[in-house]
Amino acid sequence: MAYEKKAGDCMRRITATVFKHAMLIPAAFISLFPLVWMAITSLKSNQEISFGSFSLPKQLHFENYVEAWNTANMSLYFSNSIIVTVVSIFLTILAGSLASFVLSKFKFRLRNFIYTIFIIGMLIPMQSILVPLFIQMRTLHLLDSLWSLILSYTAFGLPVAIFILESFMRVFPDEIMEAAILDGCTQLRIFSEVILPMSRPAVASVTILTFLNNWKEFSFALIFISEESKKTLPLGLYNFLGTETNNYAGLMAALIIATLPVFITYIFLQEQVIKGMTAGAVKG
Amino acid sequence: MDLFRRNRRFILLGLAPALGLYFLFVIYPIFRSFLYGFYDWNGLSAPKFIGLLNFKEILKDPVFWKSFLNNIFVVLVSIFGQLPLGMISAVILSRKFRGESFYRSVLFIPMILSTVVVALLWSTILNPQVGIVNQFLKNIGLSSLALNWLGNPATAMPTVCGVILWQFTGLYMVIFLAAIQNIPKEIHEASSLDGVTEIERLVYITLPLLWPTVMASVVLCISGSMRSFDLVFVMTEGGPAHATELMATYMYNKTFAVYKYGYGSAVSLVIFTISFGMILAGQWLMKKKQGTV
Repeated sequence: MAYEKKAGDCMRRITATVFKHAMLIPAAFISLFPLVWMAITSLKSNQEISFGSFSLPKQLHFENYVEAWNTANMSLYFSNSIIVTVVSIFLTILAGSLASFVLSKFKFRLRNFIYTIFIIGMLIPMQSILVPLFIQMRTLHLLDSLWSLILSYTAFGLPVAIFILESFMRVFPDEIMEAAILDGCTQLRIFSEVILPMSRPAVASVTILTFLNNWKEFSFALIFISEESKKTLPLGLYNFLGTETNNYAGLMAALIIATLPVFITYIFLQEQVIKGMTAGAVKG
Repeated sequence: MDLFRRNRRFILLGLAPALGLYFLFVIYPIFRSFLYGFYDWNGLSAPKFIGLLNFKEILKDPVFWKSFLNNIFVVLVSIFGQLPLGMISAVILSRKFRGESFYRSVLFIPMILSTVVVALLWSTILNPQVGIVNQFLKNIGLSSLALNWLGNPATAMPTVCGVILWQFTGLYMVIFLAAIQNIPKEIHEASSLDGVTEIERLVYITLPLLWPTVMASVVLCISGSMRSFDLVFVMTEGGPAHATELMATYMYNKTFAVYKYGYGSAVSLVIFTISFGMILAGQWLMKKKQGTV
């Protein structure tokens, strides 16, 4: 009897395992295969691609990457993307953490109101302010300048940044700050030497989240930038097929170049990326 | 706490950069767009006040309604596609087993890609000449199914929604997985002592405990779907024959292709209102449902 029960348990566990993998393997395949295909196709010649989309390349055509990098302007878009992303991350962290410090550790009349206004920003659909923001940028003569992207990405990144940083700083014990005050520290020094170093994990989450969002952003770039020399990667990719008709191998190489920084980040900081993106998505 | 009750200067200085940027590039433009919605303006000449005329024209435009229905379609596909698929994967992955973290990493990968990359990759995969989907169908003898997926008004919208599913399901999987892992172990242990089966536990214990997360995810689905613009814009630009037109692409075309800034602002306002309305309605419905559980 007991033996039979054990055998039944065993059978059940095997069935469960088989069932699990029967569900997960196709799912993993569907997630991954397009990317594998992208990588394979990026190494084929365009002639091979038109003959068959399944075949492996006979020869590895790394020149697709060189061509995309040089002739298709990917190097330019890449450096624009880096400038925009790095500067906007820096500004988001700076303005966001300073505001979070004030909101979490100071008492003043409009505190709750200001906090709420920032948090509501997380629910505003970007598209609903595309037109007015375009007009705003035109008024400020910022169209076709990387600053239009840097400033709008920062402004749009602030709500999530403040949400994450404020809730992290709020739980810091006040004794730390009291001790610092007794030592004669100014508020700015308490911020830069006590609060900011203590907030490192939250700053890291915000950095990763901001990096991913701004590196991938397309709508604002589409509307603010028309000059070739100011385009970021997503916008440059969008125009790729317009200029390089039917160069699918080149396109795939360009897509890989654009994705590589994000992909490398994901491989090394997977937990933080997932945590940051879900925190950024779920928000309040 | 009020360590620095009298540090008005620092409070102001500390908030100034964030508030300044936020007002200049988020709050102020929103209020301005409320205003422009009531004007006829081509962006160059002086705006002319026309009252509710823009809104009347929007409501009379069949293309707008088409885009509205498409948006609803995306919302429904997201809620009834992404959430269940994400939930199933999360439930399976919530039990520790070998390979569990591999599956989790792989299923999340589409989320980290730029939407433009996703759009261009899938456009190529679905391309009738060089794409792999049609070649596969031909290879297994189903040439009749090898359609021009994005070029045909009948298939374009479902195809786009399929790509949206591909991209975002991983996000909901991770959200649900985190929520399941937050359920105290004692609850599971107690239920397994009571001889509750796996399925019963899922239906009577796990799902009810996850309800707040499901609620948040529905809101996320709605706001995310109402925002979708990039994918459709890059894959189809709203075509063919407005088959994949979304409210955001409609707004884009009206504003930046035919320079009707006032009209575009009015559309923005409508999108804004509809998304908030849907989010509130979604929350209300879910709360009601929760009351009956």
